[in-house]
Amino acid sequence: MTVVDTPPPRLPVRQTQTPAEPGVSPAAGPGVSPMLHRLAAERATGVLLREHGTLYLSDGQVTHAESAETPGLDVLLATGGALDAESWREAIARAGARRQVGRFLVDSGRVAEGALELCHVAALFDAAYFVLGPSGAPARFRYGAAHWLGPVRPVPVAALERESLRRRELLHRIWPAPATDTAPLIRADRAAEPPVPSRQEAVLDQVNGVRTAADISLALGRPAFHTLVDLRRLAAAGIVTTAAPQSLRAPQAPGAAGPAAADAAPEPPPPHHDPVSALLTQPSADPDVALLRRLRDALEAL
Amino acid sequence: MPGIDECLVEAMRLPGALGAAVVDWTSGLALGTVGEAPGGDHETTAAEAAELARLAAEHGAFAPEKGPDQEGQDPPVEDLIVSNRDTYHVLRFVATTFDSSVFLHLWLARADGNLALARIRLGEMAGRLVLG
Repeated sequence: MTVVDTPPPRLPVRQTQTPAEPGVSPAAGPGVSPMLHRLAAERATGVLLREHGTLYLSDGQVTHAESAETPGLDVLLATGGALDAESWREAIARAGARRQVGRFLVDSGRVAEGALELCHVAALFDAAYFVLGPSGAPARFRYGAAHWLGPVRPVPVAALERESLRRRELLHRIWPAPATDTAPLIRADRAAEPPVPSRQEAVLDQVNGVRTAADISLALGRPAFHTLVDLRRLAAAGIVTTAAPQSLRAPQAPGAAGPAAADAAPEPPPPHHDPVSALLTQPSADPDVALLRRLRDALEAL
Repeated sequence: MPGIDECLVEAMRLPGALGAAVVDWTSGLALGTVGEAPGGDHETTAAEAAELARLAAEHGAFAPEKGPDQEGQDPPVEDLIVSNRDTYHVLRFVATTFDSSVFLHLWLARADGNLALARIRLGEMAGRLVLG
C-alpha cells in the first residue's frame, strides 16, 4: 500500500515572456524601488516609509525592516520563550535611547549573539519582502532616523531586492494563485486531508475560516513568508482554500470575518456563479473532484 | 559567544573545508556564507541545499520514533551527508528556541576532509551558535 502524503508535482506554468533575463519571471514584475537604489548609492542613513512597511538604512545598508504583515523580532523571540516581554522592556529602557538594544541583549547574556542574528536577519528579509512588494502609494525617506535596536547584521540593498524577487518567484512556482497570501482561509475537506509535515500541520491547525496568513504567522511567532510558503503548498495539495466571500455565505454573522475580510477585498471572488464551479466547490472526498478543483484554480491563475 | 560569521570562520578551519553557509531551508536564503561554493554561486547552492534539507525534514521516513515527551519542535533530522567523487557536503540542522528553519552547510574536499570530525564539530557549532 502506498500512502501519498506529498503535494502534487508542480503544474507547468506558461511563460508569458521569453526568459531573456534569468531569474526574472512574469511573477516578479516591477517590485524594486528606484528611490531605494538612489539611497543605497548615496550611502544614506534614515528610514524609508513605504505603503507596506519601513526599511531602516545605515550608510546605505539595510539594518532593520518592519511590516504590519509580519511578526516583529520581539514576537519571534518571545513566542518560543527565547526572550520574554520583561527582558525586552528592560533592554529598551536601558539601551533604547542610545540605540544599542541588540548589543545590550547580547552583552547582558539574555540572548546568544548567533540566535539574535539568525532571528533578526530572518525578520529583516521577511518584512522587506512585503515592504518591497507592489505599492500604490509614494515612498518617503526621513534622513537621520535610526532604529532603537541598533545594527545587528546589515544587508546590502541589492541583496535584499534580489532575495525579495526570488521569493516572489518561489511562491509563484509552488502555486501560482496568490489568494491564500491575504484572504481568510478554510480547510477544503478536513475528512479527506492527507497527513502533512509537522510545520505545515501547525499552520493548518490555525486555519479556521477567519484567520489570514498574517494572523497565523503572528499566532505561531513564525516569519510570515514561511507561512505563505506552507499555505501555497497546502493550496497546491487542495487542502487549504480561501474562505468564500461573506456575501455568498449565510448573512447571519456579518462581523465574523471582520478586518480579515477587508484584506480579501482586492482578490477577485471565486467564480461560484456557473454551475460547473458550483459543483466543484461542493465538499467531497472524491479525489477526482479535488484534482479538478486544483486544475480549475491553476487555469484561472494563468 | 559566536555570531554567524565567527561560526562560519570556525567551520572553515576544519581540514579540507572549501566553503560554508548558514541557510534557511524554507526560503532558500543564505544568511551568511564564507569561502567557495560549488559552481561559484553561494545563492544557488543555498537554494538547492535548502530543497534537499526540506525534503529530509518533512518526510516522516527520516524522523525518529516519537516519544511521549516530544514536542516535535526540534528539526526531526540532525544532519545530512552527501558525497561525490571529490567532495563531501554536510548539512547540520540548527535547533533554536524561536521558530526557524536553519541549517549549517559545510563543503569539504574529499582528499583532505575528515567526515566524522566535521560532523561532530558542526554539531557543536550549531549548538554554540544559538546558545552562546
